[in-house]
Amino acid sequence: MNESNVTPQTGQESPDRYKNLIVALIVFTTVLAAVLAALQADANIRADMANRESQYLAVLASGELTRASLESNYELIVFGDYLKNLQEATVLELTALEQETNGDTDAAQATRALAAISQASADHGEKFSIFHTDPRYAPQNENDLPNTDQYLKDVFEKSNEIVARQNEATDAYNAWNRKADTYITGLTILVVAFFLFGLAQALKDVRTRLIFAAFGVVVILFSLLITATTLIS
Amino acid sequence: MKRSSWFTSRFEVVNAILIAVVSLTTAFSVWRANMIGSNAANESQMGLSDAVKKQAFDNENYRKVYKEAAFAYQFAVKQAEVQALEASDDPVVQDQAANIRQYLLPNMQLLGQPLATDEKYQNTDGTYDLQKRLADMQSTEENQLDPTASFARADSFFSQQRWLVVGSVLLAVSLFWLALAEVSNERLRGWQFTLGLGIYLLGILWFVGVELIFFFMRRGG
Repeated sequence: MNESNVTPQTGQESPDRYKNLIVALIVFTTVLAAVLAALQADANIRADMANRESQYLAVLASGELTRASLESNYELIVFGDYLKNLQEATVLELTALEQETNGDTDAAQATRALAAISQASADHGEKFSIFHTDPRYAPQNENDLPNTDQYLKDVFEKSNEIVARQNEATDAYNAWNRKADTYITGLTILVVAFFLFGLAQALKDVRTRLIFAAFGVVVILFSLLITATTLIS
Repeated sequence: MKRSSWFTSRFEVVNAILIAVVSLTTAFSVWRANMIGSNAANESQMGLSDAVKKQAFDNENYRKVYKEAAFAYQFAVKQAEVQALEASDDPVVQDQAANIRQYLLPNMQLLGQPLATDEKYQNTDGTYDLQKRLADMQSTEENQLDPTASFARADSFFSQQRWLVVGSVLLAVSLFWLALAEVSNERLRGWQFTLGLGIYLLGILWFVGVELIFFFMRRGG
């Protein structure tokens, strides 16, 4: 009688053993999930801001390209017109000289008048051309040509700079978007941990409970690894 | 024993009510954070829309100013040409110059207006002040478009959303400590309840503080 009262209790594990540990793991997982959710929200916000910046800069770059194209088109037309008038004046002067040499003085005089008109147009047009008024592009010597390459480089400099900033913003958007996606992956993995801990809590067998809890811990560690690498990347 | 059971059931009821309140507060906080996020997205969208409209105005202004500049340039060059013709000794050329001045130049001047007609756009060397013309082209509607103001408001909303999410995390953490107090034994539930309640109150303070700070930062917006 006395034996039967004592023997069954010896060496038997309590069915509630490790339950508090699992509850603590669930709480930890919850806090981790909350932190991950906050990090994901932050990454999403940064991605949204970078995306908006990228779109805004794309609009500005397109506008600046339009402006630079209109300006350079106008300047090159004015410069082309100036060159045309100057060459016409030169050719007409040469013609007048030939006519004079041939003894046709009346024709030479008429041709000289035409040359003077072309020269007047060229002289007046020169004042409108940035290639003659701006010292950065104006010819340094009488026989030199204006520095059109430098002008084209300068006129598109601002648009190129905006495009470079736009590319940076796009890269930032892609980076933050990738981070936000990775945090989502981490959160999804945590859901698996929740499932494993929940299952462990419901099971009566202590050993099986511990196995599920151990798998849950591995899953948490994996999620932590993903979070940490994403955070420092 | 009887008193302890009464106390336990009463604690569980109070804790259950508090859990319900915290759940509702967390849900409200998450809803509010999403609302603020939505406001931020709307402001960003408005800013982008304004930027596109403003750029369209700018593009049109530049197109017009360079079109006017090209006509005004042709007028100025033709005028110089006429002056050269007028300087000629040949009466035929002088007649030609008079005709051009009488019939052609006025029409070319009309094409080149207002640069070729309005003195305020004319420089002393006979060229035109394109920047001044461009500045005068800016319409009131165009000046009212300010994408950067919308972006600044969007950034403020984004920032508020970020801090509200932190508040929601605090509320979620308090919810779990309270839930833990509900299932734990009597020895632990007291400090778990206190911790949960403390974090909850901190979360509420955080939420109200964030709302007030950003309300005043945006001057009521």
